[in-house]
Amino acid sequence: MSATFPGRRMHSRRFYRVQRRFGEAAAMLFGLVLLVWSITPIYNMWMIALDSHDAIFSGTVWPDSPTLESFRVVITEDFWYLENFWHQFGNSFIVGLSVTFLTLLIGSLASFTVGRLRLRHGWLLTNAALMTYVIPASFLAIPIYRIMQIYGLQNQLSSVILALTTFATPYAIFIFSQYGKSIPMELDESARIDGANPLQIYVRIYLPLMAPALVAVGTYALLLAWNEYLYNFLLLSTPQSMTVAVALAQFLNSDESPWNYMMATAIIYALPPIILYYGFRRYMAAGLTMGGVKG
Amino acid sequence: MSATQQALAVGRATAAHRPRRSTWFGGLHGADYAWAIAFALPYIAIFFAFVLYPICYGVYLGSDPALYRDLFADPRYLTAVVNTLLYVGIGVNVKMFLAFLLSGFFMRKSWWTKSLLVVFILPWATPALPAYISIHWFLNGQWGMLNNVLYLLFGIDGPVYLNDRWLGLAGNIGAYIWKTLPFWTIILLAGRMAVPTELYEAAEVDGATGLRRFAHITVPMMASLYLVCTLLDMVFALGDFNATFFVSGGGPAMSTEVLATLGIRYAFTVALPRLGVAAVMSALPLLIPLVIMLMRRLRMSEGQL
Amino acid sequence: MIHLSRRSVLRGSVYLAATGTLAKPFIAKAAAKTAVVWMNQGFIPQEDAAFKKVAEDYMKASGNTLDYSIMPFMAQNQKTISALTSGDVPDLVFMDAPSSIIPQNAWDDKIVDVSDVVAPYESQLADSAKLCSTFYNKATKQRSYYLCPVKQGATPFHIWGDLVEKAGLKISEIPKDWNGVWSYLKQAQAPLRAKGMRKLYACGLQITTVGPNDGNNVFTHFLIANGGENIVTSDGKLHTDDPVVREAAIKSVEFMTGLYKEGVVPPEALSWNDADDNNGYHEKLFMMDFDGTLSTELALIKDKQAFYHDMVTLAPINKNDGSPMKTQVGTGGGFIPKGAQNIEVAKDFMKYFMQPEVMNENLKGGLGRWVPAIPSLVKSDPFWLQSDMPCLKPYVEEAVLNPTLPVYEGFTPAWGQANAEQLWGQAHADVIKNGMKPADAIDKAFKRCNEIFARVET
Repeated sequence: MSATFPGRRMHSRRFYRVQRRFGEAAAMLFGLVLLVWSITPIYNMWMIALDSHDAIFSGTVWPDSPTLESFRVVITEDFWYLENFWHQFGNSFIVGLSVTFLTLLIGSLASFTVGRLRLRHGWLLTNAALMTYVIPASFLAIPIYRIMQIYGLQNQLSSVILALTTFATPYAIFIFSQYGKSIPMELDESARIDGANPLQIYVRIYLPLMAPALVAVGTYALLLAWNEYLYNFLLLSTPQSMTVAVALAQFLNSDESPWNYMMATAIIYALPPIILYYGFRRYMAAGLTMGGVKG
Repeated sequence: MSATQQALAVGRATAAHRPRRSTWFGGLHGADYAWAIAFALPYIAIFFAFVLYPICYGVYLGSDPALYRDLFADPRYLTAVVNTLLYVGIGVNVKMFLAFLLSGFFMRKSWWTKSLLVVFILPWATPALPAYISIHWFLNGQWGMLNNVLYLLFGIDGPVYLNDRWLGLAGNIGAYIWKTLPFWTIILLAGRMAVPTELYEAAEVDGATGLRRFAHITVPMMASLYLVCTLLDMVFALGDFNATFFVSGGGPAMSTEVLATLGIRYAFTVALPRLGVAAVMSALPLLIPLVIMLMRRLRMSEGQL
Repeated sequence: MIHLSRRSVLRGSVYLAATGTLAKPFIAKAAAKTAVVWMNQGFIPQEDAAFKKVAEDYMKASGNTLDYSIMPFMAQNQKTISALTSGDVPDLVFMDAPSSIIPQNAWDDKIVDVSDVVAPYESQLADSAKLCSTFYNKATKQRSYYLCPVKQGATPFHIWGDLVEKAGLKISEIPKDWNGVWSYLKQAQAPLRAKGMRKLYACGLQITTVGPNDGNNVFTHFLIANGGENIVTSDGKLHTDDPVVREAAIKSVEFMTGLYKEGVVPPEALSWNDADDNNGYHEKLFMMDFDGTLSTELALIKDKQAFYHDMVTLAPINKNDGSPMKTQVGTGGGFIPKGAQNIEVAKDFMKYFMQPEVMNENLKGGLGRWVPAIPSLVKSDPFWLQSDMPCLKPYVEEAVLNPTLPVYEGFTPAWGQANAEQLWGQAHADVIKNGMKPADAIDKAFKRCNEIFARVET
């Protein structure tokens, strides 16, 4: 590889080594700050979950006599709010995965057709998608309620899935469009020359190159569906059909709830998305953009 | 060498420049046109089925001018507007900036950075309700963990945070940033991954230092995504009521209310849902320019800038 | 190579578009004899079980089906409001505290008149129950029954008796007048702190603007105790220009902010939400709390020492001028939205529920957290006044036997709106944080209150 002029080394090798170590130490310190920042409220939740009911607000920094009782209660469904915990947990998966899948599918198809296939007047589609955000989701409760009644979907999981997909998809379209700009059109063109049809370009070139964006938006859609409770309340009527997010909101029904159970439920409930993210995180690696087509 | 590889050689060189509109795709031929329509149909279906009617109905709910007269007469309204502006202005921009910096931080290859990323996601993955309630308790003046830690480490008795408007607002904004920062960091991280490494390598060979590489490659390549994310997050922040509702509860004396919480109170505490919708729609003068900016950004995203 | 043909993808997309938009709601108009009932979840599982029993018994007795759902009250609120606004309503909504929804919707003629259901029981119902169940309808220009009352709740004092003794005071010596209770108990703070309870406060006064109603409830009782109960009369008119009312309001603000400034109230109280006072009380961070229903005690029912010995429930006895105190009672029951498909079944079920025996059994099943709307029941059934639960007798006395007032929301929806703006909490905050004089703070609150009332009248 030729360079325009040789890169000048201005300092000794040892200087650079020290500089690197210093940089590494600074990064570690920063990482520590970040860790404390992220964990502290969660630590608070964890502490409450470990306390027995009386000691929750005693004002200590470490739990006096930690007990795993709340976790046991959650797992064995030993409390009346948690009677259907595992069933609702299953519902959370169904809703979460469906919304993720639909959002990624519909969103990527739409941004592909507008951005790559350059559908004429495609901008109409993205502008229309933006309309979804003119009124915040919490205030669209009544209209969405009404429309689900019109379609006869009340009290069915599919109504929640569709409602949440509606809210997540425009966001997916925007992020995919932005992200897709960094993928050169020449790739598509050369594939066409090689005789591929749009579907093949979509599956073999577009999707693999979009992998980091797919993981990011997918996590977003999953968490949206996972933690959403307003539309669950609104569109579903029976505890059997709801998700755990709703069960959590139940604890607010009374001003006397066992907060330790609530926090234990929350902690257990937060784990699956993390695990899923952990499983997919290698797709977030750099170099896939160009790596996929090198050689 | 196949055409792909030839094109790629061309592609690499031109990747740093904006791809020009290719005449090949200027007009779609028959078969491709059908494909394009087919791909667009799922979203079009969603739009007509679930967006058009609800949005029109929602706008209709908030359309009575008398509602706005009542709204402006409410003494809490002005405070809520100010709070919302602060919430959106500070909350969104500080968070985006942090997300941008963090996205660079998380590009590092060390093992502990990768593990940290998974822990970092926790605030986002935790359900909002318990997380914000936990922060509410954390900030309690009497027995909250923050004051306990302050007492433990420094022996001082911290203030009652939620009794003061500005501390309460800071608490709300802080909680909101805490919860949503990982989300945007991941998005911007994905964006960083899209910046071709060849550009960095080429620049390094040319002798550019880290800072110059950052300023001349990273920033321009990510500018558009950053802007879109900021605009979108402003839209989301306008509608967020969880943080304010559970952390400060709008207190003390309704001084930390934002438009979203005010609207929810109208809608569900006094059964005046139309007034509630009007409260958030009164933010439209702020929202519409954002939406228009987004539209223009996205239109430009079709291949050229 | 991929074998998905373009045509099949096209077909799939078109199908998706078509079904999504054109699906017809045949299922929406369901079969006739099933009534859809929305019930709010209780605070203890026994309340839910008791409701289920009534529903099951009714279904066996009548042959009709009740499609009931039990949901948290927040969810029920949101769902009910969405239903009432969009027009897709259930047949019956059963709420413990409907005063946030019924006044406005009855006003707007969105609820079915249930006078025919209430009529057979009218003579047996408590006055406050009747007044809490009648609302003004702007379309018909008259008041009528829109709620079928079943249960009532009041607000007692909850006191940690063991802490009172530890401070050297005696429960039996607590004065009978309203201000006296607070003044006596606040003395406990100094001795208890001297004994090592570093962060203890004497009075859990909910001087807050957060949380739906606790702050308003406390203020209203102070107002009544000072003689200002005519602030809203049963015709829905506001009487802030009445000097007695104004004087009472000013005295109330003075006393409450006085307590806060003396330091016997946790400083956090200014921004307490609905649960903060309960949490603090349970942790014995303060000695007494004035909060609605027996949920405070019943939450600790498993703690035998606390429930049977330490916690004391006290009913307010006298106003500050020595005359008997009138506490406010809320009323819960069922209402039928207009446009319901099965009004007949809904009415039938409510007729069944309101029968004294059914009502009584249901509330007993809920451990007495709510008292019956028919006062004679508490005298005829020993469960109420001869219970081994020490908290029940004072509560029943307060809610049923002592003089009571209905909550003002029944008189006009404007009061609910005024409360929602937390005007009284704002007045307290004005005095405490902004240094206003109580009289000025009250005048400011009254001014806004009048504006709200005027707005609703039009």
